[in-house]
Order: sequence, then C-alpha cells, then structure tokens
Amino acid sequence: MDSLLAQHLVNWMVLGSIYALVALGFSLLFGVLNVIHFSHGDVSIVAPFVALAVIQILFAGVLPAGAGWALVVALGVAIVVTGLLGILLDWLVIRRFRGAPAMMALVATVALGSVVRELIRMFYPQGSNPKPFPALIRDSVQIGGVQISAFSVLVVLVSVLMVTLLFWIMHRTPIGLRIRAVAEDRDIARLMAINPNRIFAVTFFLASAVGAIGGLFFASHAGVVRFDFGIQLGLIGFSAAVIGGLGSMHGAIIGSLLIAGIDTLVQVTVPDGASYRMVFIFLLVICVLVLKPSGMLGKPVFEKV
Amino acid sequence: MSATEELRASARPSPLRSLATVIAVELAAAVLLRLFLLSDDTAVIVALLALMGAGFALLQIRPAIEDAIVAAFGEARLAALLLGGIIVLAYPFFLNGSSYALHLLIIAQLYAVLALALNFQLGSANIPNFATGASYGIGAYTSALLAIHFGISFWLALPVAALVATVFGFLLGFPSMRTKESYLALVTIAFGIVIHQLLNNFSWTGGPNGLVGIPAPILFGHSFARPLEVFGHRLPSQANFYYLSAALVALSILSARRLHDSRVGLAWNALRADELAARCQGINVVWYKMLAFGVDAFLAAFAGTVYAFYVSYISPDNFTFIVSVTIMTMVIVGGMDNTLGVILGAFLLTLLPEKLRIFSDYRLLFVSVVVILFLVLRPQGLFQQRARHYGGK
Repeated sequence: MDSLLAQHLVNWMVLGSIYALVALGFSLLFGVLNVIHFSHGDVSIVAPFVALAVIQILFAGVLPAGAGWALVVALGVAIVVTGLLGILLDWLVIRRFRGAPAMMALVATVALGSVVRELIRMFYPQGSNPKPFPALIRDSVQIGGVQISAFSVLVVLVSVLMVTLLFWIMHRTPIGLRIRAVAEDRDIARLMAINPNRIFAVTFFLASAVGAIGGLFFASHAGVVRFDFGIQLGLIGFSAAVIGGLGSMHGAIIGSLLIAGIDTLVQVTVPDGASYRMVFIFLLVICVLVLKPSGMLGKPVFEKV
Repeated sequence: MSATEELRASARPSPLRSLATVIAVELAAAVLLRLFLLSDDTAVIVALLALMGAGFALLQIRPAIEDAIVAAFGEARLAALLLGGIIVLAYPFFLNGSSYALHLLIIAQLYAVLALALNFQLGSANIPNFATGASYGIGAYTSALLAIHFGISFWLALPVAALVATVFGFLLGFPSMRTKESYLALVTIAFGIVIHQLLNNFSWTGGPNGLVGIPAPILFGHSFARPLEVFGHRLPSQANFYYLSAALVALSILSARRLHDSRVGLAWNALRADELAARCQGINVVWYKMLAFGVDAFLAAFAGTVYAFYVSYISPDNFTFIVSVTIMTMVIVGGMDNTLGVILGAFLLTLLPEKLRIFSDYRLLFVSVVVILFLVLRPQGLFQQRARHYGGK
C-alpha cells in the first residue's frame, strides 16, 4: 500500500478516535439528561493539565527514563479527577437547569466553559502559556510494511476499548440499565426506586472521564496544550454528536469519523487546507443537518397534538 | 362597577403621581449611569452595583413596585418619551468631555441594537441564533469594503450592507425550515464559524489583519472625525457617533415596538407558544421564521456598519462565536421579549467588564460567574416579558 495514503488513513483514524471520545460524552449526557453540556470540551482539556501537574509533583517535571508506570499513574489520576470535576460542575451549576428551557442550559454551560478556561488561565502556574505535553509513546511499529507511530495505534486501540467498555456498561451492567431507565423516563425510573440524581452523577463521571481520555490524546497528538483548546475540541465534539444524532452513541462515532474524514481530506487535498479546515468541517455540518434535520442516526421528531 | 374594575381603578395612579414617578426614575437612571461611567474608584463602582442588585432584589420580593412603575410609564407616556429624548440628547454635555465615557456609551448602544435584533428571534419567536455576530460582521465588512474600494459614502453603504446581510440572513434561515432546537442552534453556530473563518482567510478581506483606514462619515460637510461644536460647547469627536448610535437604538426600539404590535409580532409569539398550533391557525411558519432571520441580520448589519466607520479598523476577531454568545447572554440576562430589559442587559454586560478593568485579569471569570448566577437566581431576566394587553387601560 502507498505509505502516504496509509499515513493519511492512520491520521484520519486518530483524529476520528479523539473526536469520538469527546462526542460520546455529549451524546451520553444529552441522551440521559436532555441537556447540552457545552463546557464538555473545556472539562476534557482539564485532564492534560492535571496530568502535567501530577508529573510535576512526582518528578519535578522530568520523566525519568523507563518510568512508564509514572505516566500511567499521571494519566489515571487525570482521568479520575476530570470525571469528578464533571460531577462537581453538575452539582454546582448544571442540575439547576434540569427543568429550564434548553437555551438557558446552553448559555449557562457556555458561561461555565468560560469559567473553567479562566480558572486554568488564572490559577494554573503560567496557565496562559502553551505547555508542552509529552508524547505517550515514541516507538513506531511495522504494519503491513508501513511504518506507523505506536501512538496512533495506542489511540485507536484505547478508543475502541473505551467505546466497547461504554457499550458494555450501558447494556450489560445494572448501572447501565438504570442509566437507560432514567434516560427513558425519569419519573417512572424513580418509581422503580432509582435515584435519578445518583444516575446523573454516574453519567457525568462516565462522560467526563471518557472526554478526559480524548483531551489527553488531543494534547499528546498536538504535543502541546493551552487553556483555550477546549473551545475547538468542544465545538468539534458537539458537532460530531449532533450530525450523528444527539443521544445516539453509534451516531456520535459515525459523526466523528465523518468530521475527521473531511478534516484529513481538506488538509491533504486543498491548497492551504490547514487554514480552511474549519470552514469545510462546519459546511459539512450544515449540509448534513439540511439533509437529515435530526442527525444521521437521530430519531426523527414526530409532533403529536 | 365590578370588583376587578374597582381594584384596577384603585391601582391606577393619578396623572400627577405617575409624572413624578417617570421623572424620578429617568433622572435617577441617568445620574446613576453617569456616576458609573465617570467613576474610577472601585469602591464607588462596587457600591453602585450593590445598589442595583438591591434594587432588583426589591423588585424580586415586591413585584408590585415594578407594576406600579410600568403603569406610571403607561400613563405618562408622552412625558416619559420627551424626557427620555432630552436626557439622551443632553447626556454628552454632562460627561466632562470624557471621550472614554462616550466610547463606552457608543459600544453599549451598538450592543443594544444587536441584542434587540436577536430579541426578535430568541425573545419573540424562541428561535436560537448563534450567528448574530456573523451578521454584524457581514454588515461591517460589506460597508468597509464599499467605502475603501469604491469610495461609497457611509450613508449609501449603510442600506447596502443591511441588504447584503439580510440576504445572508435568509440564506441561514433556509436550513432553519427543517431543523429545530439544538440542531438549529448548531446550524447557526456552524454558519457563524464559517463566516468568521472565511473572513480570516480570504485575502480581499485582509485576512487576520482585517481592514484598516475606513473613512469617517460626513454629514452636511461635517466630518464625524472632527469634534462636535454645539452652542459654543466643544464635544469630543465621539459625540458624533454617540448621536448616530443613539438614533440607531431609537430606530430599533421603534421597529421592535411596531413589529411587536403588528401581526408579525403576534405570529412570532404564536410560534414561541406552540409551533404546531400556530400552523393550524393558518400561520405560515416557514415564512415567519425566515423573516425573523432576515430582520435580525438587517439590524445587526446596521450596528456593524456604524461600528466599522466608528473604529475605522475591523478584524475577524471582532465577530467571533463568543461575540454571538455575548449578545445572546444580553438578551437572556435582560429579559426575553422585553425591549427595556434587553437594552439594560446590553448596557450592563458591556459596561461591567470595562469598569472592572481594575480586576483586569479576573474580568471574564467574574462576568461568566455573574451570568451563571443570573440564570440561576433570576431566570426570567432583569425584566420579564409582559403580557400583551389590547385597547383601553
């Protein structure tokens, strides 16, 4: 196979995986709470900052050679902390908009995203500067005669694993059953002795933790992380979830692959593509929504009198 | 006389009392705004904000006060308009010639126009639109390009820019026929980002550097870049644009009023209440939705044109997604479908960050927290929408 083509395909898969990890959170939260958590992208990008802080505290910023476990500890802490941050934000702000009109919750979470960003900028040491983020693995592997960076393989494998895990949790565990019950009908679920608030907390943890993995990969892929990366990551993740059909986890994955596809395609084929990629991504979003108004896998909305 | 009529008659203030109320409220507002604009002292600003907070807390606890003031304004409508007009006209003379205060007022007024534009959609018809910033940008860029490349005067560029933006508005309204709620919100977000990115990348829009050297408007031989001299008083050159933007606000209020009272406004309210029911009543849902997009873009482009000619330099960063969100926040904080509330929201959210420069670094954080608190504590906005009432008193 042409190695350049292979490189582009790998790039597509990596971007698609990263976007999917973020988009899944949007879809999950919308499906269960009927709320658009616009600050999800900003929450996800908190993870790399936490990871950097852990590395800083444990090793004064320098990763000792061969200390793979240290990196794993840092990433694990980052994922858990970000998941807990999701619960905290829900408890502090988002739960107050459960019965409110959708636009209220949307504007509130946009403001919340700005609070998260500003908190990083103000209170993280030198938070307004871009920070180098370490590569998770540096090696490369040979697959079918093509040299592929091990990082790409890791991203795709972990994403597939996470998606499988998420589906397993949702469809094969008691907690997943409860989450689906609450998503279906909050009041009936309460009659079945399910505490919706607990389920919301679990959902926020899951969504934020999965988003955190996306944020970590995003930072590692870019090699750098800045406090305002969350806006772009959030917008693309949100778009992927919407064009796939809000509330549908399959849709979020397909939407992410579609957006990553056009992203890669534009960067490769259009001259000066890197500066026009956002234009093409969002034109695609508009086109998909004109053709399929409730996303590709979204349930069509029937109005009943 | 039935009991309700009697109750109403007793609640109706006497003409003299309502006149006094109107004068007191308008003068107090003018004086407080002046204090707020001219003060450099953080303590004074915080005290003023606390006073305002207390005022709204009082309204929250005793809604009757708000009703009484509204009734008074209804009673002494002519006096209220007259006094309001005089205050607006005379205001620059009382600012000690501070060009900074005038600048703040101009920006606040332009945002008031933008917020009123969005209010037609978000407030009246409950159509989410995150692209007001884009229409604002289209207006600004169209008029700036016309002025720079073709030497077209401000007065001709203004309507042309508005027409171009309206065409784009209808273009954006097109997908709105099919999508709804969050999906529609995303379409408008996407539209805003596409416009911003295109402005940022085309070479003929100056790319990220934007357009420089937009000439100042000229009216009857008087250049708006020159100081304004009235009755021997010398006002800074900003005063020209102050009056221009005040006229624009007046125009927006007038059109908001007229549209609200017309069949169009009624149709929008019907859409907000229940789209399906509206359709069953024979309301052309598609047309009225498109119209809302068109009107929003039209007014936003006016504001954009004035902004471009005022600062004489525009760049894509003036018209980002964040700007659209800010405008939307103004409408929600002020009070959906309440003209006065929306204007107050625009003033508050423009002046507050400017005046908090002392905490410069914490500004955005503070404003975001205030917005969240507002949405939690007073979700109906500063002033809530009022029920329509027809005929009589």
